[in-house]
Amino acid sequence: MSAAPYRVHRLIQDLNRDPRLATTFLSDPEPVFQRYGIAEHERQLLREGTPRALLRLGVHPNLQMKFLRIRPAPGGAGPGPLASYLRDLNLAP
Amino acid sequence: MGTIAGAFAMSHVVFEPEKCPDKAARVWAGMREIARRIQALKPDLLIIATNDHLNNFTLALQAPFIVGVADEYTPLGDMGIPRTPFPGSRDFADGFVRFAAGAGFDVARAEEIAPDHGFAFPNLVVNPGGHIAVLPFYISVANDIPPTPARVWSLGGVVRDFVARERAAAERVVVLGAGGLSHWLCEPEQGRVNEAFDRMVIDKMVSGRARELSALTSEEIRRDAGRSGLEVMHWIFAAATVPQARGEEIFYEPMPEWITGMGGIALTP
Repeated sequence: MSAAPYRVHRLIQDLNRDPRLATTFLSDPEPVFQRYGIAEHERQLLREGTPRALLRLGVHPNLQMKFLRIRPAPGGAGPGPLASYLRDLNLAP
Repeated sequence: MGTIAGAFAMSHVVFEPEKCPDKAARVWAGMREIARRIQALKPDLLIIATNDHLNNFTLALQAPFIVGVADEYTPLGDMGIPRTPFPGSRDFADGFVRFAAGAGFDVARAEEIAPDHGFAFPNLVVNPGGHIAVLPFYISVANDIPPTPARVWSLGGVVRDFVARERAAAERVVVLGAGGLSHWLCEPEQGRVNEAFDRMVIDKMVSGRARELSALTSEEIRRDAGRSGLEVMHWIFAAATVPQARGEEIFYEPMPEWITGMGGIALTP
């Protein structure tokens, strides 16, 4: 499986770092796609945005996770997987 | 003449214990045991060899080896890790970069790192309170073209030589290779754990044959342990700092529930 072109990775890296860009993308992705030069077949897979679609596109595994997380989780983020361990270390907030 | 007082390796994250409470409890107990042993060695410096998950070092600029040279670090805070600052060691870091340059390694220096879970979680476990100064040592296995295991082994040897030749006689250094073992993250085989590969790695590490792991290619590791399984190079690095050492397995659990073979070992120099 070939890797996605860098323009796709650059987009996801920027979405991960820039909350305002992520908000803009979520409300209307097309101008953002245009800005990053994303090809139409790439846009289709990113619009679908499922793990399978990202895999087909060849997105780097670490960036797949970041793309999947830019959408807020229903019901909020939750305590996270480390909550009980942090309590054990007396580090829970 | 400084000393590498101990070398360890363990997985660098855990997940919800509810998925597999008994195995999770054994993994957590193993990590706490490694923490106890590290603290008992009373190190002056803790080197944690790990990878960034494209949070600090992205695909925009891909350096194979990066050390943190800052006086202090604040974690990124991913996975709910507290953003409590902890001290670095600029003197050691810069001294090492200079020494490595003379030994044929051009290691990148990073002033600004917000360590993600790959560093911050193991540091939290083995260095509670951040009382031990740390050296974040990044082996960039997430790069499109990762460093080779052979190169990683050699670099570990450079760390060993640096500590022995350039550091003060009383300085005690502990090395922790953090990450692994086999896991296929966001790949078609996600959920697979290659127990045979993981146990082979552990066996070679604890029986003084870690150098044999450096003969593997990155492609072989990806085939047998997943792209994310390249983190086994952090284990190879740790072993290379104490190349004659033997040790023991502290824990190993094949955990498809966590999509990872979870392991930890201790080496005695």
